[in-house]
Amino acid sequence: MKRRNFIMSVLGGIPLLSSKASSTQILKKAQSSPSSSARKRVRELGIKIGDKEPGPYNAITDVPGIKVGHTTIIKGKGKGAVRTGVTAILPQEGNIQEENLFASYFNLNGWGEMTGIAPVAHTGRLQSPIFLTGTNNVGIVYDAAVEYLRKSHKEDSGPSLAPVVAECFDYLLSDTQKRLITKEDVFRAINKARSGIVEEGSVGGGTGMVSFDFKGGIGTSSRVVSMKDKKYTIGVLVMTNTSDRSLLRINGFPVGKEIKGYEYKEGNSKSIILVAATDAPLLPFQLKKISKRVALGLAQTGATSNTGSGDIILAFSTGNKIPRHHPGSPRKIQSLNDFWITPLYKATIEATQEAIINALTTASTIVGRDGNTAYGIPLDQVKKIVEKYESLKNKQHD
Amino acid sequence: MTKKQRLELLKTKRGKFQPGPKNCLTDVRGVRVGHLTLDQDFQDESGRKIAIRTGLTAVIPCDMKEEIRLQAGFFDFRSHNEITGYEVEDDFCYLNSPLILSNSHNIGRAYNAILTYGFSIRRVEIWPPVVMGIDDSWLNDMDKSSIDEKQIVKLLHDSSGSQVEEGSLGIGLGLRAFGWKGGIGTCSRIFSWGEKEFTLGVLAASNHGNKPESQMKNPMEKPSAAQTQGSLILILATDIPLVPFQIRRITSSLVVGLPPINTLKNCLDSVTCFLFSTANAMSLKNDGPLVFDFSLVDDSALEILIRAGAEATREAILRSLLLSSPVQGRLGRKANSIPDQEFQKILNQFQDTA
Repeated sequence: MKRRNFIMSVLGGIPLLSSKASSTQILKKAQSSPSSSARKRVRELGIKIGDKEPGPYNAITDVPGIKVGHTTIIKGKGKGAVRTGVTAILPQEGNIQEENLFASYFNLNGWGEMTGIAPVAHTGRLQSPIFLTGTNNVGIVYDAAVEYLRKSHKEDSGPSLAPVVAECFDYLLSDTQKRLITKEDVFRAINKARSGIVEEGSVGGGTGMVSFDFKGGIGTSSRVVSMKDKKYTIGVLVMTNTSDRSLLRINGFPVGKEIKGYEYKEGNSKSIILVAATDAPLLPFQLKKISKRVALGLAQTGATSNTGSGDIILAFSTGNKIPRHHPGSPRKIQSLNDFWITPLYKATIEATQEAIINALTTASTIVGRDGNTAYGIPLDQVKKIVEKYESLKNKQHD
Repeated sequence: MTKKQRLELLKTKRGKFQPGPKNCLTDVRGVRVGHLTLDQDFQDESGRKIAIRTGLTAVIPCDMKEEIRLQAGFFDFRSHNEITGYEVEDDFCYLNSPLILSNSHNIGRAYNAILTYGFSIRRVEIWPPVVMGIDDSWLNDMDKSSIDEKQIVKLLHDSSGSQVEEGSLGIGLGLRAFGWKGGIGTCSRIFSWGEKEFTLGVLAASNHGNKPESQMKNPMEKPSAAQTQGSLILILATDIPLVPFQIRRITSSLVVGLPPINTLKNCLDSVTCFLFSTANAMSLKNDGPLVFDFSLVDDSALEILIRAGAEATREAILRSLLLSSPVQGRLGRKANSIPDQEFQKILNQFQDTA
């Protein structure tokens, strides 16, 4: 079968939305429907994480200007099989190199790679799209990013390019030594990047990821927060490859412990990369604080950030756009008052938890390298277990 | 050379930036400085001679009665002394209180005095107090040098925007640098950016660059166990608008750009460089607005600021050596004013890296 067809069939296609459908219907569907018809987003299972409302697409793209695109690479079976890819997050519609965004990061556990951190730490600015991929692909993806950035890099602009490429180790399902990814794959992910619905699960950089001993991958979620007379959105996108089944919690309920069946090999927990974005005007030191709340959101799922888990968090804000150079007079910017910021922290934590759980519930089973299999988490069992604990909780109040 | 002559020599070695009208930290509008000096000799119960050679130096960053807080930040290099308010400065990057430099044992009462001061003027938010500790136990009987808290509160009220006194006073009384008498030094620089003129002021407390314990043959020279590590504290203020990540870049650049104080001789010395801006002030009224409007300058402004800052920090450290009168203190130890030849040597060191 041609590789292109195989990729399309695995993705399952995106549900077509009738133009006659009302906007509310479209939004409701977008908030809950995943790309693959057999899998579902956690909201579609009737599970509500936290109590704040998500944005229209319940995705990082609810922050205006952000686009996400994937290239999924599936080749071969058994020995030497490749299950990998790359996900591109375009932070804003203009030229990110000429119009920078404030950014910061939090290194929760450093056994991982996110290139571009030093420039972000030093300048407080994001000057590149964010690429998520498998560990051994980083060099190739970085090269592609450099070529892409060079095309839109103005001649007289100063500092050199600062691509952000982050990784998790998709070794269980993919032959990582082959590094069967090309720079065309990266360019394609950039060109396919769209606003609105974000494909989740076994796609893009998440294709070969394993999380909580089930199939992991890409997940996203968002929250809208009202503060005085303003509304701000926080969106989180994760590539999850971390943690052990027995630890998995949803809304605090010990789901992982109670799932039956679906054999797995222990000790496969690796890393997670988390990207948070908001239209709230935040300065770099505030985005560092947001990054720390993302870590709290990760903790809500039961993850323990093991010694071999590269858990790195990047946060950026579209609330201020800063030209690369603005010599002469000072530029007007804005900064959310820390006194009022707590609701945004709480929203960050909810959106992070939901993004990770979405990755699990939307990820379809992948049989990969040497027949290693990661099963999509059984949705019927997840739904039943959460319902059981919800009713127990309600009984307590009787 | 006379003191006047040495100051003239220092003037000729100035860089390209001009000093402000008073050439001191209070050239930055709104900033006030005060010294409290404790210079006493007495005998304790067992008849031992006690020499108190210490004090406090306070920097009030703005009118504390105004309901505002300032953008601030610092770079600390091997800092082993206490800095209260560290976590808030590191995470929230704003200054809400006066800064006090005190000896390590008076940190607690200085902290408390700042709170008392804040309550007395009904300041909306005085917390966290920022107190930086220095170990002056070589010359000062630090264990016996408790300063009356009421005096510290008075110091905060009395701090003024007039000419800042330098040398062996305030926290400078018991300090020792480069093997000679250290103390307080201050200066300022004017710089232009975007067709406007701005001011940068520096206050230095020099207690670094001394011979490490391992190299001291004379037991009289040996410091107490606590004082094997020296420290340099730099307080900077400016009226150009800055935001926290810029402050971090400036302070780290200034520390790394310091002239060779970091030879293998003094590799345990620490440097703390604290900078605040009086622009981009944040209103505390009713907990402030939802969103602040700030001004962001670009890298070209930071570059000028770092160069002016490098000149100013050098001069402030050199002045602290030049202007500190000799002090004899604990155990009869003496710290002499730096002789001409030694001063020339250090002056050359500082100039080489300009």
